[in-house]
Amino acid sequence: MNERFEIPGSLKRTSMILLGIGIVTLVLGIALLLGGDSYDKTRFWAVLLHNSVFFTLITTASVFIQAASSLAQGGWIVAYRRVPEAIGANVWLFGLIAAIVMFLIVFVFRIDGKNPIYEWVTPGNDAALMHKKPFLNPGMFVGLTLVTVGLWAFFGWKFRALSIAQESAPKNNAKIYWTFFRLSGVFLLIYALTQMSTTPWMWIMSVQPHWYSTMFSWYTWASAFVSGMSLILLWVVYLKNQGKLELVTKEHIHDLGKFMFAFTIFWTYVWFCQYMLIWYANIPEETVAFKLRQQGPYSIIFYANFIINFIMPFLILMARPSKRNYFTVTFIAMLIIFGHWLDFYQMIMPGPLGEHWHLGWFEMGIFAGFVGILIFSVSRTLASASLVAQNNILLKETIIHIS
Amino acid sequence: MHLKYESFVREPLVDGDKSYRQISEDIISPIEKKPGRMWYVGFFFSLALLAFGVFSVTWEVYWGIGVWGINRTVGWGWDITNFVWWIGIGHAGTLISAILLLFRQSWRTGVNRAAEAMTIFAVMCAGQFPIFHMGRVWDGFFVLPYPNSRGPLWPNFNSALLWDVFAISTYFTVSLLFWYSGLIPDFALVRDRAKTKLRKLLYGIGSFGWTGTAKNWQRHEMLALVLAGLSTPLVLSVHTIVSFDFATSVIPGWHTTIFPPYFVAGAVFSGFAMVQTLLVITRKILHLEDYITIGHLEAMNKVIVLTGSIVGTAYLTELFMSWYSANQYEAGAFKWRIMGPYWWSYWAMMTCNVVSPQLFWFKKLRRNVVFTFIMSIVVNIGMWFERFVIIVTSLYRDYIPGSWSYYSPTWPEVGFYLGTFGLFFTCYFLFAKYFPVIAVAEIKFILKTSGENYKRKMDVIEEKPVEEFVLEQAEHH
Repeated sequence: MNERFEIPGSLKRTSMILLGIGIVTLVLGIALLLGGDSYDKTRFWAVLLHNSVFFTLITTASVFIQAASSLAQGGWIVAYRRVPEAIGANVWLFGLIAAIVMFLIVFVFRIDGKNPIYEWVTPGNDAALMHKKPFLNPGMFVGLTLVTVGLWAFFGWKFRALSIAQESAPKNNAKIYWTFFRLSGVFLLIYALTQMSTTPWMWIMSVQPHWYSTMFSWYTWASAFVSGMSLILLWVVYLKNQGKLELVTKEHIHDLGKFMFAFTIFWTYVWFCQYMLIWYANIPEETVAFKLRQQGPYSIIFYANFIINFIMPFLILMARPSKRNYFTVTFIAMLIIFGHWLDFYQMIMPGPLGEHWHLGWFEMGIFAGFVGILIFSVSRTLASASLVAQNNILLKETIIHIS
Repeated sequence: MHLKYESFVREPLVDGDKSYRQISEDIISPIEKKPGRMWYVGFFFSLALLAFGVFSVTWEVYWGIGVWGINRTVGWGWDITNFVWWIGIGHAGTLISAILLLFRQSWRTGVNRAAEAMTIFAVMCAGQFPIFHMGRVWDGFFVLPYPNSRGPLWPNFNSALLWDVFAISTYFTVSLLFWYSGLIPDFALVRDRAKTKLRKLLYGIGSFGWTGTAKNWQRHEMLALVLAGLSTPLVLSVHTIVSFDFATSVIPGWHTTIFPPYFVAGAVFSGFAMVQTLLVITRKILHLEDYITIGHLEAMNKVIVLTGSIVGTAYLTELFMSWYSANQYEAGAFKWRIMGPYWWSYWAMMTCNVVSPQLFWFKKLRRNVVFTFIMSIVVNIGMWFERFVIIVTSLYRDYIPGSWSYYSPTWPEVGFYLGTFGLFFTCYFLFAKYFPVIAVAEIKFILKTSGENYKRKMDVIEEKPVEEFVLEQAEHH
């Protein structure tokens, strides 16, 4: 059962074009934005931060999905598990880009001696920021970022390596299966201490360093997870359309559709709880965030976020047939990824940019560039091994899987 | 016909050499026999506790709420602590029956019936506390919105406390329906086996004339799926709204956005612990070790370590934010929690809920029955302290040092709590005697996939090359 994937010329071309758009945009950005006024400069860096962090988190979600399904001994994912493996194996690339972007912002980017994105780098005599210094300082930032990205990338690589090692293991030998199981537990602990808590505080929440919400990291996780599932689905449908992934049936697509549906609701749940509690208690320190987003210049994005990320997937995916239809799930997966990209946009931009936000050529161009990198790197990884996780202990279960 | 197969890495869910007939015999026969002496001892002890609870509550209603230890500063004490504790416990059943059904976890079949029963009893216990906390309990019906002659007096729809009334009553209703609809085929089985006229009559009424036709089963499964879909959001909504009782306020220590999901995780955590407590004993006394296997206990211990760690992450997040916020009142609330006169309750919570469940990372301990039993009680002690810490230690150091106070319960409060234990166990003893404690029909459904004797025959499939297996399956479809 060896099924190889050869990257079709069209896919390669698409990724190259997108990548080209990204590079041209970046060069234009350097020329036009970095040479512009202070808001242009801030926009340049904020957009890079937004995209690199978003893509790092949604690719790492694939590592988490592998760990979670391994611990739960899920057989449903095995038919296409090479997809999350290939995405997870490229976490290092996005992590590296994100780390470089963030370090440049922290150490290099200044306007009039101030850091407009990470205000805490140059706290001046702001008492609250001085108070937060033990956590919000460049040394801590670098350390935590390197540890986070390093560990995520390591597990992304390791999980794939183990799965490939299983192919040459003796038939029905579960040794690697249980190694994977144990490592998944370790990864889950690491994930809890990074993605589920400290990392989003450091990378994203500290863009508005006076504001705080205990829910924040779980909220970004929900966003990353549902996008990560959608990303897997897009690859599965693509490969299926290429006549690959013979073992994948509508039952497997249905599973992914259910996850997208359920975690759309979960995202809305944490989004709503955070919003509602802050609105209800009405404490100025906390409402500042929503004042800017809901009633201020970002209101259109605020409502679009809710419609794209909740109302549309919720209503469209509710019926069983739509979760088993390639067209609807593909459409919704693209919608979800774009919607959560927008969600991350409104997490990051209001702090540094205020009312001077743009959703124009630079934002879209950089996004296209990242999509290009994703398609290019993931397709290469997919092509480097069989598309079927041969000899996997749960392979036969996945063949007869019923959603 | 769909192939009955599962991988050899999964351990059997039904041990021994079981046939359908044997399953009915093993699970139904305790209903047909006289209970043992221990059952009577336990039952009457529970009844006595319940009676003491009724006395304590009567005392409180007669003399007024002043007989409790709560005061102006600490307005919520044991009553609300116990309310949240019980309602949390009442989360495991619906999680097992609804969410695990949607996740296709077949191990739930061994434990779902008892867990659902426990859920219903726990919610019944929980409901008592807010009712009697009202003080003038005879005005309790004021919470219901209906046309009345009280002028502008109308339930306050802006209050999270009122949302509780709706959330809990909905949850109770749906859980009860779910549990009962699952019981129908099993009641019919008891009816068909019945040797006495009375038993035949009562279980006949209970089974709604179930005949076991294909149409019956089809509708039954449809109903289960619909109810599972309905209860899944309910599992989240109930404890979310309970957390809103606190988090919508502006009290430091209460107002924090992570409360809703963290309360839900904590509820599942304590609910599973209570299921363990009950099932470790039930499987022993009713000799159901073949159906509630060590594997089942291990699976639940995994849920405990997972939810315990989620709760732990939330505790640490809260603690971190109380510092990060640079808000002196937040910092103060946590300082008084950790180092104030109630320091022991905070540390009891941390030890029982965060530290000790980490032992379940070890497979040996997850599969140890005695250790599981001890841990299940430790966790529930921890979860009780969690609510006590949230409620009392956020209140007792008020903004004005002049209103600082200390709170200890009086005997009617303790009696009330003991009384709910009486209610809970009285119900559980009756359930264990008169109801099939395991869902017979559902066990039969998984027998040929996950039964030990059937799994032995799957070696042939395991040896088959994948290509051949794929071809064979393609022919069947």
